[in-house]
Amino acid sequence: MGYVHDTNMSQFIPPAALHYVGGTWSDALAITAAVIAKTRVAAAATTVINVPILIPQNSVALKGGKLASVEFDYEISTAAATSITATMNKITRGVDTAISVVANVPVTQDLVAATDAADIDTHRLKVTVTTPVWLDNDEYFLLVITAVCALTTVLDVMDAVANFTLRV
Amino acid sequence: MIHDTHMCLVIPPTLFHCVTGTWTWTAGVVAGSIAKHRANAADTTTITIPITVPSNASALKGAYLKSIEIDYDQVTHHSTSVTPLVHLVTRSADGTPPAPVAQAFTQDPDAAGSITADTHKLVLTITTPFWVANDEYVLVELIMVHPGDAATTDLLGAVANFTLRL
Repeated sequence: MGYVHDTNMSQFIPPAALHYVGGTWSDALAITAAVIAKTRVAAAATTVINVPILIPQNSVALKGGKLASVEFDYEISTAAATSITATMNKITRGVDTAISVVANVPVTQDLVAATDAADIDTHRLKVTVTTPVWLDNDEYFLLVITAVCALTTVLDVMDAVANFTLRV
Repeated sequence: MIHDTHMCLVIPPTLFHCVTGTWTWTAGVVAGSIAKHRANAADTTTITIPITVPSNASALKGAYLKSIEIDYDQVTHHSTSVTPLVHLVTRSADGTPPAPVAQAFTQDPDAAGSITADTHKLVLTITTPFWVANDEYVLVELIMVHPGDAATTDLLGAVANFTLRL
């Protein structure tokens, strides 16, 4: 048995793994030939996209996955959105009969929510965790993307990629 | 260090991306299994399977993709054609679209063998296996042409075979 401490791990998260609240979504091949996306029908409304961060966990302290950042790939066409804002939640699963506990995790995003992240373009939004932590077996992360869309904004979500340290 | 040449990863049909056709979640042909079921229609469907292996920002680390197996049923009738494609997609910087590049592979069964009314395990062997970088991901496309004569399809899942080096 060996020991692994790899600080350069990444995990691709496809669009079907994401959770879309608000709006009408469908599978589409809209961006570039052969590239897949979930497409939202244009509407003046706010949509929330939850990205489950599918990295390994461990029940031993300081082992498993330590999330450093998440990159969210999407395209805005026809009209700019009002804003694209990222937040992060850490969910601690409860014991049987107990509800989960949700805690906000401080993050920063590299594109300005109301301008660079919301204009008509292909986007790669990097969300960096301010204080990375090891993920326990009773915990998981959700990246929350809140998209405030204009009447004719078309939003295509291609994927997300989690960047993390793996120690096993 | 880990260097395991026999890693496999199942990709459930819930992650498949299906364009054209009416798709529903059903039980598989075998009790206890699951499927994404396509209703009978005369059409061309594009099914894209995201290959969710780990990637790595260091060269020659992460996953070295060698083959993909796709499990599907066409129990009532054959398709007109089933055409697989393998794309390595490079994610670009903000403001630039992603760039897919088709990868060479061989398939077993061949084109004639993959359209029959049967349970299929279609193996795509990549001619030149590659390490998947952190800015890349792999999509496998299946373009299925259906004649519309009771040719339903059940997608059961896929398995990626790769070397893991960490």
